[in-house]
Amino acid sequence: MLAITNAKIHTMVGPVIEKGTIVIEDGKITAVGADVKVPDGAQVVDAKGRHVSPGIIEAHGHAGVYEAGNGWAGADGNEATHPITPQVRAIDGANPEDTSFADFRKHGVTAMHIMPGSANLIGGECFVVKHKEAATIDEMILLWPSGMKAALGENPKRVYGTQKKAPATRMGNAAMMREWLQKAKDYAAKKKKAAEDEDAKEPNFDMKLEALVPVINGEMPMHIHCHRQDDIATAIRIAGEFGVKYTLEHATLGHKVVDLLKENDVSCAVGPSMYFEGKVEVVGIGFDGPATLHEHGVHFCLTNDHPVIHARYLRVAAGQLEAEGVPGEDALKSITIWAAEHIGVADRIGSIEQGKDADLVIWSGEPLDARSRADVTMIDGKVVFERE
Amino acid sequence: MLAIVNGKMMPVSGDPIEGGAILIRDGKIAAVGKDLKIPSEARIIDADGRPVTPGIIEAHAHIGLGEAGIGWAGADVNESSDPVTAYARAIDGLNPLDTAFDEFRAAGITCASVVPGSGNVIGGTGLAIKCQGTIVDDMVVKNPTGMKAALGENPKGSYGRRKKLPSTRMGSAAVMRETLFKAREYLKKKDKAEGEDDVSKLPKHDKNLEALLPVLRGEIPLHIHCHRADDITTAVRLCREFEVPFVLEHVTEANHVIDLLKGADTHLAIGPTMHYGSKVENRERDFRTPVEVARAGIPFCLITDHPVLHGKYLTMSAGLAVTWGMDYDLALRSVTLSAAEHVGIADRVGSLEVGKDADIVIWSGDPLDYITFANYTIIDGEVAYQREVE
Amino acid sequence: MKNISTKVFKGATIYPVYGPKIEDGVMIVEGGKIKAIGSAKDVEIPAVEVIDVSGKVILPGFVDAHSHVGVWGDGEGSAAYDGNEMGNPIAAKVSALDAANPEQVSFAGAREGGITSLQIIPGSGNPVGGLAFACKTAGTIIDDMVIKNPTGLKGALGENPKRAYGQFFKKAPMTRMGTAGVIRDYFHQVKEYMAKKEAAEARAKEAEAKAEDAEANGNGVAPGPDYNPDLEAGALVMKGEIPFRVHAHRYDDIITAVRICEEFGIPFSIEHCTTGFKVAQFLGERGAVAHVGPGLFSRGKQELADADERNPALLDAAGVKVCLITDHPFLDSSYLLPYAGVAHKHGMPLDRVLRALTLNPAESLGIEDRVGSLTPGKDADFVVMSGEPFTYTSVILSTHIEGNVVYKRPTL
Repeated sequence: MLAITNAKIHTMVGPVIEKGTIVIEDGKITAVGADVKVPDGAQVVDAKGRHVSPGIIEAHGHAGVYEAGNGWAGADGNEATHPITPQVRAIDGANPEDTSFADFRKHGVTAMHIMPGSANLIGGECFVVKHKEAATIDEMILLWPSGMKAALGENPKRVYGTQKKAPATRMGNAAMMREWLQKAKDYAAKKKKAAEDEDAKEPNFDMKLEALVPVINGEMPMHIHCHRQDDIATAIRIAGEFGVKYTLEHATLGHKVVDLLKENDVSCAVGPSMYFEGKVEVVGIGFDGPATLHEHGVHFCLTNDHPVIHARYLRVAAGQLEAEGVPGEDALKSITIWAAEHIGVADRIGSIEQGKDADLVIWSGEPLDARSRADVTMIDGKVVFERE
Repeated sequence: MLAIVNGKMMPVSGDPIEGGAILIRDGKIAAVGKDLKIPSEARIIDADGRPVTPGIIEAHAHIGLGEAGIGWAGADVNESSDPVTAYARAIDGLNPLDTAFDEFRAAGITCASVVPGSGNVIGGTGLAIKCQGTIVDDMVVKNPTGMKAALGENPKGSYGRRKKLPSTRMGSAAVMRETLFKAREYLKKKDKAEGEDDVSKLPKHDKNLEALLPVLRGEIPLHIHCHRADDITTAVRLCREFEVPFVLEHVTEANHVIDLLKGADTHLAIGPTMHYGSKVENRERDFRTPVEVARAGIPFCLITDHPVLHGKYLTMSAGLAVTWGMDYDLALRSVTLSAAEHVGIADRVGSLEVGKDADIVIWSGDPLDYITFANYTIIDGEVAYQREVE
Repeated sequence: MKNISTKVFKGATIYPVYGPKIEDGVMIVEGGKIKAIGSAKDVEIPAVEVIDVSGKVILPGFVDAHSHVGVWGDGEGSAAYDGNEMGNPIAAKVSALDAANPEQVSFAGAREGGITSLQIIPGSGNPVGGLAFACKTAGTIIDDMVIKNPTGLKGALGENPKRAYGQFFKKAPMTRMGTAGVIRDYFHQVKEYMAKKEAAEARAKEAEAKAEDAEANGNGVAPGPDYNPDLEAGALVMKGEIPFRVHAHRYDDIITAVRICEEFGIPFSIEHCTTGFKVAQFLGERGAVAHVGPGLFSRGKQELADADERNPALLDAAGVKVCLITDHPFLDSSYLLPYAGVAHKHGMPLDRVLRALTLNPAESLGIEDRVGSLTPGKDADFVVMSGEPFTYTSVILSTHIEGNVVYKRPTL
């Protein structure tokens, strides 16, 4: 049992507790508040007035499948040999020894949604990990599977179009995505019929379609990469046609179609906003975009798309969001609880509340101050990093 | 009938016997011990007090498939036309007259497990042979011994370069998963058709899926090439998913995942340790891996992956492992009985026991010392190599 | 790099290589050099730190005369492959010095293998591959580690250059004839270049002597040839300052190498010399230098088909100056000692093997004033072994460069 005392607690579910205590037992938060008593026998960690927040969450990253410092040998994030690869799984390519994970612990980033890249229209299955030190990736799993990566816009059409293969245009992107979702829908229907009717024939096994069945059945969301507002509209259009659950990833120009996002109650993971205008579809990238979403009440969180921008700089991104007028606590929510909600793990992490996992950080200063550092990072109630 | 007398017998399956003898009849070991009665008709080889061990066994080699000294014409290791070539069989590509066999016999290697390469996700079946003969079918100890598979950099490099699936680790795992799934469905259909005695229900013949049936039925293991810890993890995950037997090859980073391997009910073939870090995934190839695996009590053998390291340096590898802390007896076992266990032929070879094949080596000194020569190499009771002393 | 302190190593069996084995030896190291060496009764021990090495064996640090340590990244994949500057069959101007990374893990492997100096040399993809240099195996800035630069110009015959150019680039050379032709053409150009330079220098001297005339002549002296770095490298060979070090495995390629070098009157060494035993007498008569290795390899190419572990012994017996090399990474540097053991096993006498690991390569590289034997005045580069060579239980316990411990064997 552990108690963190004298902490300025950013719970993410209420006002900041100026001076409070957090009690942790068996990896869970059992109590948090200004008047919480330290139980007998608890090991006490005196925060000495420092800020404590939930661990930072990267809602859209590629750590482990695009490893730091390993070049081609560590590049396993895009199975760019066919535009539709729903059957591949990020978990089969994620290396827990990617040195980025140690970096994350040092900087208070405690969880990531690991996804295939955006070379393919349908890129493969995603999963969520905690940044624990572990010999196998399986020991780091928080949620598996979490969703199916998809992408529209320039990337798929560039990867395949430059090889003179389909898709070569945005029309091609949409048509192929639609074609495969339809095939998956038919396949799922055949399977359902075969299960119900003894005489009905099972469809021929198709691994790609098999992997899409949970998406078609609404059990698993699609995470659709799109930057420009027209690609956002296409994503919403296709998802609506098939009635699938989905989130939007990047949504860089989402602020241009705020009403559309609101109408469809879409959740967006916005970023990497610290990036430059390297492609046409990201012209206009910046923090005014998510600030606008915030203003209009659209569900969103921030992402650095690690490693495009290293996930350790998520606090810097949130600080920039605050600079655009978003209140500090909300900016912090955009890299904690709203990220957890976006990826479907808010029951476990993202806020400091009784019953949730003790994934916490004690900061040397204000969490959104770029000059602050993580002094203590904790996952499941265990200290995984401590600054000397 | 052959008798080896006056040798320091090192049976591997038991304690050494000073001044011991072995009696060989019809290619099998008929007796081992001290004070054996030697029949008068036996040809006698006097071991002159020198060490006598079971024949050395190389559990992972491409000898005969990747032949010495003839370049492309003798290169038959990888059927690199498709990532899944389960139908390919090492026996069909093995040349028993590969001159490397001369070197194997001269180094005391009596038996080798020959497997296809690691360019494919599923590469084909391997077999175990004796290292002497002209017609490979006459040399077979066991065929097939297993189905070769591979994860890591090789398959994704080989196919990714040509922009074909797989180009990533995710892709390799997906290919393996898909193939095993299809093989399982194929088996179900076949069993159903046979059960109902209805030929019309048989699935259309598929050469890859057919070749995988013995794996799905649990009759032969997958031999999975993997170096890096995450590839080892993926191999274990996939095999558990499909409940198929498996052994792991190379496992350069096995010491990173000791707990996983302890609980995995598998066997490891470690090596080639005396190699440079030719890729990122094998940068940690040194004796730390086998020493730590040995300490953890996980069953393993040592391999050279001939010709990556020449097979004749297998005993040198075992000797160097001893200098780094491995127990001597375990090191000798790792190139004899443990190798036989890895390949599934321990009923025939790997130790000096009555009833086993008479594969025996008489050495000039400590068998694990690289300065030692093999004086006699005996295979199936016949002298396959005898050293000429100038 | 050198360690200034004075240390005494007492009690070991010492193989100094310059002379016979010393039992119960004493070696005094001071200021990074060997100060004195001899048996315990002959050497006075000063009042300084005495290191008891009873039961151990001390050898000079090994000199690996042909290595790609630091330029062919160990465990780093293609991002660290810097050994062959491909594209033009003549790459004489490039130097391995510009690519050697002292932090590359292969340097640590070399120290583990008892190697204290090595020649780092370009690969064999090109008929003329670039300049080689000799350095110590420990340090941070490569220039501080250099012993001599350059120590040779790399050449190559056989399968590698013709495969790289004929098959891959689809241009000359495509055959062994073509490869020899390219090399010959190169040296002809070098000769021409040197002649033109000399003529220009002679003219300039003349003009200087008649200084007034030069001014009166306006433009004056006809200029020499434009500076050509590829030919400058060859000029060093032509002048006899550095040898042409020719990669050749098959015995006929070895003969071709000798033919070309004798044609141009240039000094040479044969790299690998894998089936040189077939023409051992021919090579011995010429006092040829052979950098023999890598050891412990498989016959992966046709030109290696007749390789034989007796090669170093047979060459040595015929009077060839044999240097045992690793050609790292093709034999990992940490396994030089077992390779030497195998050479001894197959007929090379112990003292000849030790010389082939130390003084012969030092002489081949022109660095014998500094390294290669435990002669007083030379660098204190040495290896401490746990027992007598050669047996697997005699392992390298520590490696020392200029009095510093640069490797200590860990317990796993």
